[in-house]
Amino acid sequence: MNGQIGVYICECGPNIKDRIDIDKVIEDISSLGDVKTVKRFPLLCSNDGKKFLEEEIKKEDLSHLVVAACSPREHEKTFMDVCEQADFNPYLFQLINIREHCAWMISDKNEATAKAIKYIRAGIRRVALHRPLEKKEIESIPDVLVIGGGVSGLEASLSLAGKDRRVYLVEKTGSLGGMAKKLSQLLPNQGSNLSLIDEKVEQVHNNENILVSTSSTVGDVRGFLGNFEIVIHTDGETSGFRKAQVGAIVVATGFDVFDPEENSQYGYGIDNVFTAQEFEEQIKSGNVLLKSGKPPESVAIIHCVGRKERGYCSKVCCCYSIKFAHYLKDNLSNVNVSELYVDLCLPHKSDQEYFEEAKKKGVHFVRSEEEINVNQKGDQIEVEYHSEGKTDSIVVDMVVLAPAMIPSGDTPELAHLLNIPLDKSGFFKEIHEVLDPISTPIEGIYIAGCATGPKNIPESIVQSQAASGKILSSLIPGEKIVPEVKVSEIREEFCTGCQTCLSVCFYGAIRFDSFKGISVVNEAICRGCGSCVGSCPSGAIRSKHFTYPQLYREILEALR
Amino acid sequence: MKKQNVLVVGAGLAGMKAALLLANAGVTVYLLEKESLIGGQTIKFEEVYPNMECATCMVSPIQQDVLQNKNIELFLLSELESVEGETGRFKVKISKKARYVSLVNCIGCDACYEPCPVNLDNEFEENLSKKKAISVPCAGALPNVPNIDPENCLRLNGKKKECKACQEACVFDAIDFTEKDETLDLEVGAILVATGFDLFDIETLPQFGYGKFPNVYSAMEFERLYAQNGPTEGELILRKDGDLKSIGIIHCVGRKEQGYCSGVCCMYSAKFAHFLKHKIHEAKIYEFYTDLCIPGKSHQSFYEETRQKGVDFIHNETIRVESQKDRLQITYRDGNGSDSVVPMDMVILSPAMIPGKGTEQLAKTLGINLDKHGFFNTQNERLSPVSTEREGIFVIGCAEGPKDIPDSVLQAEAAVGKILASFR
Ligand SMILES: Cc1cc2nc3c(=O)[nH]c(=O)nc-3n(C[C@H](O)[C@H](O)[C@H](O)COP(=O)(O)OP(=O)(O)OC[C@H]3O[C@@H](n4cnc5c(N)ncnc54)[C@H](O)[C@@H]3O)c2cc1C
Ligand SMILES: Cc1cc2nc3c(=O)[nH]c(=O)nc-3n(C[C@H](O)[C@H](O)[C@H](O)COP(=O)(O)OP(=O)(O)OC[C@H]3O[C@@H](n4cnc5c(N)ncnc54)[C@H](O)[C@@H]3O)c2cc1C
Ligand code: SF4
Ligand code: SF4
Ligand code: SF4
Ligand code: SF4
Repeated sequence: MNGQIGVYICECGPNIKDRIDIDKVIEDISSLGDVKTVKRFPLLCSNDGKKFLEEEIKKEDLSHLVVAACSPREHEKTFMDVCEQADFNPYLFQLINIREHCAWMISDKNEATAKAIKYIRAGIRRVALHRPLEKKEIESIPDVLVIGGGVSGLEASLSLAGKDRRVYLVEKTGSLGGMAKKLSQLLPNQGSNLSLIDEKVEQVHNNENILVSTSSTVGDVRGFLGNFEIVIHTDGETSGFRKAQVGAIVVATGFDVFDPEENSQYGYGIDNVFTAQEFEEQIKSGNVLLKSGKPPESVAIIHCVGRKERGYCSKVCCCYSIKFAHYLKDNLSNVNVSELYVDLCLPHKSDQEYFEEAKKKGVHFVRSEEEINVNQKGDQIEVEYHSEGKTDSIVVDMVVLAPAMIPSGDTPELAHLLNIPLDKSGFFKEIHEVLDPISTPIEGIYIAGCATGPKNIPESIVQSQAASGKILSSLIPGEKIVPEVKVSEIREEFCTGCQTCLSVCFYGAIRFDSFKGISVVNEAICRGCGSCVGSCPSGAIRSKHFTYPQLYREILEALR
Repeated sequence: MKKQNVLVVGAGLAGMKAALLLANAGVTVYLLEKESLIGGQTIKFEEVYPNMECATCMVSPIQQDVLQNKNIELFLLSELESVEGETGRFKVKISKKARYVSLVNCIGCDACYEPCPVNLDNEFEENLSKKKAISVPCAGALPNVPNIDPENCLRLNGKKKECKACQEACVFDAIDFTEKDETLDLEVGAILVATGFDLFDIETLPQFGYGKFPNVYSAMEFERLYAQNGPTEGELILRKDGDLKSIGIIHCVGRKEQGYCSGVCCMYSAKFAHFLKHKIHEAKIYEFYTDLCIPGKSHQSFYEETRQKGVDFIHNETIRVESQKDRLQITYRDGNGSDSVVPMDMVILSPAMIPGKGTEQLAKTLGINLDKHGFFNTQNERLSPVSTEREGIFVIGCAEGPKDIPDSVLQAEAAVGKILASFR
């Protein structure tokens, strides 16, 4: 090969200069074939250094560029920017770390110099095989599909819809609002008043940029960020289907609740044992009554129903159980209210005060570490509990069960349709639980609200606004999308169609072309992680910037 | 309203995440940080629950992105002086202290620290180590550029005007003693407040023995003690040497006084136990809690895993720390009212998260309200959890109240959603 490789060594002040014999390095490297020039410079990352490099690239008419300096973490981007400035493809450049890996690591100057020479030689071998990679630009559609019309879906739709962005809101049931519409009231720190939810529903209906489909589900989804093709199925009177193109999707399908009948110890089925939702309805109708038509004189509210079975705390039930206690104390005179809890989960800054107020109103809080048993006792109900090693019981007129929040029924099918993963509890799984809690491995598909796990209404709203933040920041009307450049490709002639790679790709970038009988990488989705490359038994997959020859040449030279 | 510049106050995880997302949308962001480095509290951690990921590996790429982003203009050692105007056209004044070290010239070689004759307690390291008048607060600080503390530098405070030991050591011409404090005027369309939290002053509760017994530590001290990049490089070197056979972690310190649960201490206490069990297999680890607050879908399994490792979780109503001969001891009362005593070699206190210092002043400057606990108040009861009553000003992360990293990140992204939605 007739390369014109330029090698530039940074002195990094005394950092490299004092600990590596740069002249010796230059002498050694200069003798290599394909190397056009080797030069040293005091501080390449400085403005002078960058200008020098830019001029060198042009003046020396380089084919490839090697910089031997510090960690790529520190300055790879700096030098890639210099390349662009010089109209030089930045993928024809390689940064060699002789500071952290050599100068700072090895106290013996000769050894450090020898290692630096090996590194630079290896880099030169590798860079000679680099090919220019070009950025692609893809047109994108700003419109968004929102699945689920609970508070989360409503909020997402409202914050996304605008004159330059349409939202398709798909709700399975006949009306919008989800669970929030069925509640009796909200907590005081949430304004108590449910009219805010009604307002949101109305705003959605009145917004001409939101196309609402109730009694509908999503039938098909294909494509990638900026370019999804979707099909919406509608049942009932206006049955039919609608096709649309969207740039992003927000999944806000909410939750269901644990069925207390699953475990007989909770006594569901006994007269006057209700679930929390049934109790919300009773409060809403203004009639908290026993089967006999009389108001209860004593009520036990049982927390954590299904927590043990599900293996997680649902985070909101302690607070709404306290909401029930407040309601009872405020509306039924002389009612005796007991809350049987395991641990009180009061994680928000105003929760504890709400609890303390309930205590002041005379609500009994009873700690019960283990199993609770609910049994009929005459006209009444006996609740047996265990605390600090002792068994005790209370007899009450009414029992309210606070069941765990569980993934909504359609979650597995929807996950399959969208090709996004579920976590071990069956909720949609975030790409990174701590740093990126609403993104999925499929770029452009976001999850919000209780679809990702139990949470209250403000937290659900925050997630929806966060999804909007992500979409508004990345899918800008009129702007093109630039996907990852260092992607993988499958070479048709080697692929046997075994489809191993399909199961390996975390991002869903590989599709099977059944006509040709081979797998194909969608370069708009691929993030260049390289997992598929290693998995392919036929060696058919190539990572464009990490080809086998590049890596072999580099390693061979380093080991020589 | 068309696209405008945005001011973010506080460069912790919440502030950094918000700045990056705004910058990605092409918005110019002014990111204000009162310290000399960015990252906030999370850069002090070794690991992050619930997946025990390496904190540095998580946070430092974000810090790098912030430093390299062309749309983010960073103002370090800076604070907000005044805010005038209204949403869409806020006029803000910023005071920026002199760093005395050039962010452009300095390459972070650390040659200047050693020659400096001034030795100081390092507050960032919870005073577990010393630093010089010119220094970075910890290994791996970003930007990796020291600053000179003008109150303690002999030249700048006038005690030894001729000292220039640091300048002589610097071959990059990075040190400039003539740099002056500045005030800057900016115009922005929206303001994001991300000033984080502080921890409850545990010395005010004598029953826990902090300050009195050397081997009683605060949670943040423990974070630095077990951090690989901390003052002991991750070795559990105690203030008072001795065998570590029994370690107690006490939850909810200051909860009663503050009147709320901080929502994260149960989990990070379990994180400590997790680490300790791993580090010293034979030690007995006790967690003393009042209520276990482990909300969220994966937290309980982390707790259960910790318990399976042999960590004892003990419910208590009241608790105190005393000394007993050479060791410590914890006396607690359980739900039945009976007292028990357990001997201890080390005690870690998990204090309540409280509003950051200066929150009250900042609220005045911004013209927004505080809640009854002293955190910034938001429009939660209008179901708009990151908006304040002053349009165009948003509060995110722990500045709004105690929360963990995911919730802080979500609020950051949510505020960006609100702002970008208003820009069209
Ligand atoms: C008894 C009880 C009391 C509560 N009290 C309070 C309280 O006082 N304060 C508070 O803040 N929180 C409270 N909560 C929690 C609150 O209900 C939730 O935070 C909130 O409803 C979550 O909203 P969401 O939109 O995420 O989910 P949901 O309300 O569940 O809405 C999801 C929507 O998606 C639709 N959907 C589902 N699958 C599909 C599909 N495949 N295609 C299309 N649409 C689909 C559903 O029909 C539904 O309309 C309470 C919860 C319970 C169980
Ligand atoms: C001991 C401990 C362990 C923890 N462990 C975990 C864990 O494992 N996992 C987890 O998810 N969470 C954990 N947390 C919680 C986590 O620390 C917080 O969620 C997170 O730090 C919040 O980020 P923030 O950006 O809101 O605030 P901060 O990290 O406090 O950042 C605020 C920033 O604003 C700056 N600032 C303050 N005031 C001003 C001002 N006036 N002007 C300019 N700048 C200002 C500060 O200097 C700081 O840089 C832990 C907390 C503690 C106390
Ligand atoms: S929020 Fe309370 S009732 Fe609900 S699961 Fe958690 S501890 Fe149990
Ligand atoms: S490189 Fe990674 S993202 Fe790209 S196709 Fe292969 S496995 Fe998928
Ligand atoms: S001038 Fe002297 S005292 Fe001041 S920072 Fe430099 S070396 Fe330290
Ligand atoms: S100021 Fe100079 S000597 Fe000090 S770290 Fe920066 S470059 Fe090195």
